Formats: sequence, C-alpha cells, structure tokens
Amino acid sequence: MRRSGKLLGLMVLGVGLLALAVRAGAELPPEDVGQVMRLPETAGEHWLWVPDRLFRHSALFDGDTGRMLGAIDSGLQVSPRAPLWSRARNEIYNVDTTYSRGHRGERHDYLVIYDSRSLEVKGEVELPPKAADTGTGIALVGILDGDRFIVVLNQSPGSSVSVVDLETRQMVAEVQTAGCAAVFPAGPSRFGMLCGDGTAINVHLKPNGELDRIRRSASFFDVVGDPITEKGVRDGSTWWFASFEGLLYEVSFGSDSPTPKAPWPLFSNEELEEGWRIGGAQHLAYHPSTKRLYSVTDQGGPGSHKDPGEEIWVYDLPAKRKIDVFSAPNLIAPFLGPQAGFDAEGTVGSILSFVLPNMGVHSIAVTQDSKPLLFMRHADLGAVGVLDALSGDHLRDIDETGLSGALLVVP
Amino acid sequence: MSRIDRWFEGMSRQSARRVSRRSWLSRFGGVLMGGAALPLLPVARAAEKHQVGEDGVKGREGDPRRCEYWRHCAIDGFLCSCCGGSHTACPPGTEMSPVTWIGTCRNPADGIDYIISYNDCCGKTFCGRCMCNRNEGERPLYHWYRNNDINWCGGAKTQTYSCSTAVVVKAAKEAQPEK
Repeated sequence: MRRSGKLLGLMVLGVGLLALAVRAGAELPPEDVGQVMRLPETAGEHWLWVPDRLFRHSALFDGDTGRMLGAIDSGLQVSPRAPLWSRARNEIYNVDTTYSRGHRGERHDYLVIYDSRSLEVKGEVELPPKAADTGTGIALVGILDGDRFIVVLNQSPGSSVSVVDLETRQMVAEVQTAGCAAVFPAGPSRFGMLCGDGTAINVHLKPNGELDRIRRSASFFDVVGDPITEKGVRDGSTWWFASFEGLLYEVSFGSDSPTPKAPWPLFSNEELEEGWRIGGAQHLAYHPSTKRLYSVTDQGGPGSHKDPGEEIWVYDLPAKRKIDVFSAPNLIAPFLGPQAGFDAEGTVGSILSFVLPNMGVHSIAVTQDSKPLLFMRHADLGAVGVLDALSGDHLRDIDETGLSGALLVVP
Repeated sequence: MSRIDRWFEGMSRQSARRVSRRSWLSRFGGVLMGGAALPLLPVARAAEKHQVGEDGVKGREGDPRRCEYWRHCAIDGFLCSCCGGSHTACPPGTEMSPVTWIGTCRNPADGIDYIISYNDCCGKTFCGRCMCNRNEGERPLYHWYRNNDINWCGGAKTQTYSCSTAVVVKAAKEAQPEK
C-alpha cells in the first residue's frame, strides 16, 4: 500500500513536471534584436534582379520560390542601370546618378561597390556626371571578362565611355565614341558599340584600361529603313541583334574589327504580312548551352518595335529556324491582387486572367543553367512571370516586384 | 479561333498599341467602379468625336491630354498637358531642355507632316500622369535625335525628368518611314 502510494505520488509528480515542461515549451524564447540577413557566398542560378524606376532600386528575387532576397538602391535617373555582379570579387556594382538636393542641385555620378553577400556599400568611384540615362536602362553599362574593367556609356548628348579599373578603384579613361551608342562586352579588354551610320566599332583597351584603338566595321544595316535594336544578346564575343522587320544579325566582336554575318529572317513573308514583329524593351534572351534564342513577338506591324508581345518565339540559332512558341502569362491579376486584396492564384485571379486582355510582356531574361527559367515582365505591371525555358510551362508569377521598369537581369 | 477570341485579341492589341498602359489600367479601374461608363454612351462618344480641339483637329486626335493627340506620334513619357503645363509649355517650376528628340507627325486637319520637337521638362521628378508611348519613326539609341528612350534633360540645369512637350518645329519635307 505504501509502495503503491509512493508510485502514485511519483506518477502525479511526473505528469505535473511534464505539463510544466509543455507550458514552458509553448513560450517563445527571447530573441536577439539587431539581426540582419546575409546572402549565401555565391549567387543562385535562378536569381533575378528586377530594377524599378519608381521605387528607384533593384530588387533581387529567387525565381524558384518567388522570395525577395534583398535590394540595392539606384540613383535618380529615369531607370536604374543594370546591376553588375562579379563572382570573382564577391562584389556588385551599380552606376547611380545623384543630386545634391534630392531631385535638384549639383549632379554626381558614382560607380557604387557593394559586398555581394551583405549588400553593404563598401566603396565608390566618382564618374563624370553624364552617364547615359534611358527609359529602359539597357546596354548602358558592362563588366568586361576577367572582371577588371567596367564600362559606362555617357551621353551629354555627345557619346563617350568611362572606363573604371576595379583593381585600383579609379576611373582610368574616357573614350570618345562620337556617333555610337550602347556597350557590348566582348573580352577582357574589348567592347563593341553600334553606330548611327550603320556600322559597329570595337573599342580595344590597353592593359591599364586606357584606349588602345578603335576599329570600325563596314556599314551592314539600314539605320532608317530597318534598323537593328541595341537590345542584343551575347555568347562570348558574339552578339546577336534583331532589326525592326525581324532580320537577325550576328556580329563577332572577337577580332580587330567587328565582323557581321549576313542576317537571316525571324519571320516568314506570310508572318510579316500578318503583322508579326519583334517588340518590347529587352526583347531578346539567349541560352548558350542549348543555343536557343527567345524573342518577344507582337502582331502590331510596322512601328510596333516597342510594343509588348503576348508570345515568345523560340529559335534554334544554329539551325536558323523557329522551334517553339510560348504564351506570355497575363500579369494583370498578379499585379492587382496584392493592391486590391485578392489572391491572384484564387478564383478572382483566375476569372480576371480569363476576362482581361493579356497586355503581353516587354522584357525577358533566361537563366544560364541546365534547367533554365524564362522570366518576363510588362514594363508597367509589377509582377514577373516565370516559365520553364525548355517546355514553356508557366511555373509561377512573382507578385509585388515593383511598379515600373523594363530591365530584367540574371546575375 | 472564335469570333469572340478575335474580337478580344483585336481589342487588346489596339489598346496596347494606341493607348498609354497606365491609362488603360486607370480606365479599367474606372469601368470596374462604374464611373467611366457614361462616356461610353453613343451620344457622348459622338459629341467627343466631333468636338474641334487643338490645331483644328476633331476628337481625341485634337486633345493634347490624350495619347492619341496627333503630335504625340513618337512620344514616350508623361504628357505635360496633364502635369500643369501644356503641349508647348512646361509645368511651373520646371525647365525645358533645349536639346531633344524629334518625330514627324501628320496633322489630320490639313494633311501636312510636321517635325515635332519633344522637349522634356526637367528639374522635378516624374509627373506620373498621362504616360504615353508611341513610336512612329522612333529609332534606336545610336540614332540619338530620333530616340525617345533617352532622358533628354541632358541640356537642362538639372537632369531629373518630369514630363514631355510636343512643339511644332516646321512642316516636314517627307513623312515617317512607316507612312
């Protein structure tokens, strides 16, 4: 009896302690104040910068989860310029335009240097206060192979290019490039440009970054009748550019002078008659290992070269033929959902996506890995569509990516 | 493709090409709220169509606050007419940039092509109203003076972009390449 009484007592005590332990476990422990996240050591293969004109920053997203990872600010230019990422240096570079009194006052342009893991500013290089500023931000800056030099297009309105040495953290040259625009990296000490007389130039730098020589191609495209856009795509020292009427030009910047090849048509005569044209802002994307070219396509006919497209036409570059057509998702519901308080993936979103016309997309970008994602955005809808770049399957939409902008940058 | 599909597709393409994207959204919002339904009535539309606006042009092509205004054929930006200025004057407190891009637009009232100078107004941040993008004769970045992507406030004291005007320079000798 006494032994059983003890046993009962122990059992009651045990249950009591257990209950206390459960209650104690239910309380959240105190947390540290002041924690700040860091990014992993290396950039993910499916990461994406989404620069925004109105929020004046470039936000970094994970394309697999749709999660925002962080952001870097931009200056007061119309569009943020493309962030440049050096994996070798664990740094990110952004060219910002600022004014001494907010939106007015003395202008200063900087190459701002960020640590790519903390996203903290670790330095800056002052540039001539005339870095080119456009509504798209495309082809205005570039990091040359080897991550030693950064080139920045100037427009005042005359054209020149600032060269920054990342070793010495100094601007080392301003190269005069009258009549030419946009920068296309094509080696450790070489970049290309397109010119208003239908030619291209190669700008060769000396080992210290100063100008060595400029070499010009023969005229190879019709500047007025059927110009090529400066929104090109790259594989090594070769770049591809599409003309308004859909001729695809391959230009090698790998030798002394740029070497253009004869163009081939992205559209048949019948497709042209039906009004199909290239269109949008960053309207081309390229995946090197599959040699697939993605092209935003609209049916607006002549003059629609900046119109968004509802279709992404996919080409096999070596075969010079169209192999697939992807549909751009309707991004209105993912854009409006968070503003209006409905779930874009729910019933209301589905109805809206069905009822509302698809406004198409202006810009695309493709990741460079073996399971590539194709990102796309409309310049005035703050959402990014994510497709499987091989099958064209619509995987997800990333909402609240911003409000306005035409750039998409895969780091 | 069904007739309804074709109609919807045609409607969306027209919308995308001719009308500012933001204005499309705002009109859609208005329709949702019911407020924009009245101007769609036939009588109101007919009255607007016959109203004579700027430059002797009837309807929306004569309204400088519309993207359809005839001078806006190569513009890309916020319309100063919606921002406290006009199609020929900047809003108060801003400065008109002297360097600019040009387009060639046909005045439907007299059938003459005119060179239009799209001088930007600068020194304050984005106006944010009446965004309009049309690209007749617009050319890429390397063709500076016919490119409407560039922030043309480069010639102003402060290069912050606010909005764009559409000033007649003179009659053109030839039409746009697309015409």
